[in-house]
Amino acid sequence: MDLSDNEMIICRCEEVTYGELKNTAETYNCSARELKLRTRAGMGYCGGRTCRSMVDSIAHSSTERDVTQVTLKYQPPIRPVSFGSLGEITK
Amino acid sequence: MNRVIVIGAGPAGLSAAITIAESGYEVLILDEYMLAGGRLLGQLYEEENGKWWNGIKESKNLHDKAIALGIEIRLGTPVSNIEKTDGSWVIYTDEETYYTHHLLLATGAAEVPLPIPGWTLPGVMSVGAAQVMTNVHRVKPGNRGVIIGVNVLSSAIAMELKLADIDVACITLPKKNQVNKESGNPMDVMNSLLHVSHMAPSAFVKFGSKLMKNEFMKKMGITFFPKSGVKMWDIPIMLRKAVINIYGENTVEGVTIATINASGEVIEGTEENISADFVCIAGGLYPLAELAAVAGCPFYYIEELGGYVPLHNERMETVLDGLYVAGNITGVEGAKVAISQGVTAGLAIANNLSGGKQEVEIKEAIKRIEHTRDNAFIQFHPAVKEGKQKLQQYWEEYGQQAKVEVTI
Repeated sequence: MDLSDNEMIICRCEEVTYGELKNTAETYNCSARELKLRTRAGMGYCGGRTCRSMVDSIAHSSTERDVTQVTLKYQPPIRPVSFGSLGEITK
Repeated sequence: MNRVIVIGAGPAGLSAAITIAESGYEVLILDEYMLAGGRLLGQLYEEENGKWWNGIKESKNLHDKAIALGIEIRLGTPVSNIEKTDGSWVIYTDEETYYTHHLLLATGAAEVPLPIPGWTLPGVMSVGAAQVMTNVHRVKPGNRGVIIGVNVLSSAIAMELKLADIDVACITLPKKNQVNKESGNPMDVMNSLLHVSHMAPSAFVKFGSKLMKNEFMKKMGITFFPKSGVKMWDIPIMLRKAVINIYGENTVEGVTIATINASGEVIEGTEENISADFVCIAGGLYPLAELAAVAGCPFYYIEELGGYVPLHNERMETVLDGLYVAGNITGVEGAKVAISQGVTAGLAIANNLSGGKQEVEIKEAIKRIEHTRDNAFIQFHPAVKEGKQKLQQYWEEYGQQAKVEVTI
């Protein structure tokens, strides 16, 4: 594995690299969720829309996949919502 | 409140809405994009019978039909959340909140990224983005591109770029890493290509399907696969090369490729540069099911369907009352299958609203999905039928489990 692979950005919002994710996954042998929490990959403003599948793949290189549930939970809002439109909601 | 709401104005959502409106019920469609049609918009290819499938035309036909039936379509309206409150579905968008008893999720599929050093440079895009720029917006993504990822989607889009007079230098593999496992392995890629050889002109067909009857021949095929690639539509498809780096100062200037062995390992000293002003990443598609997940649907990972899919039955009903799914959210397949799934979901909704008047039609519609699938020109996964069977089995198991819980 050369330097450029390790420096490659996986989570653009939180600027988490491939090397950081790979080392964390290998060190802690952890689930996709734990890998996310340890590195903050997928926790930026896009909500993991770009890197989710990559974080999931890296975690599943060292752990078994549970096919009966989504490994990285989805939380609303699933699309960015501006503070302006949030503040304007009146019921 | 009696109005049915459909999220997604692609082939599945539009055909479902048309079916519901034809049964006499009111429908509202929401879609985050600025045009109706979804992924259908980008499609343009020649079918076996020599006829052209033009996605823009097909989308327009569906859209016009929907409008003529009085269906309201709100575009540029992303849904950020859905939940069930007091027996009805609540749909949140930036501007408004909607309520319904019958909600169909037809949100389609999204593209899988393949990370490669340099992939964050401007000028690198998903292959679907290049397709939309070219076919929908009529803007060239660049003058000369390299496509990374050899699969059905990338070869179809390469041909579309070619039709738009955009030079595609080559279609090749990504360097293998923990994310690009299968897509960086020549043997896996070769296997997945064999079932689509009918799409390619003769040279590739001869090379592919006839030779590759057994594992030994496949291995030989990969070993002796010409390093310069095999040409399809005059574009070299290189299964023995991989992009190891995308380079450029402020934007893409080219890619560095290297020869790889049959299992995808880079052979040192074989690096060479190919100049390009854009790069497309083609990692394939996965079902876009975020809303089904926040709603609380049970999910199963089924590789043949492209990833996690929400549990549903043949009538496109999820286990949650009043929540339905259709199209690529249920597994990655072509637009024609999505249309027949949309019709089925539409009938299931109309049937639940009418108290059971569409039972016969639903059975026919389910059969039609099967028929469309069997005759599909493009199949994204060779074992999609097995994937659907797995899902059916999960559905039955889930039903039995639920019964046990009720008895206890």
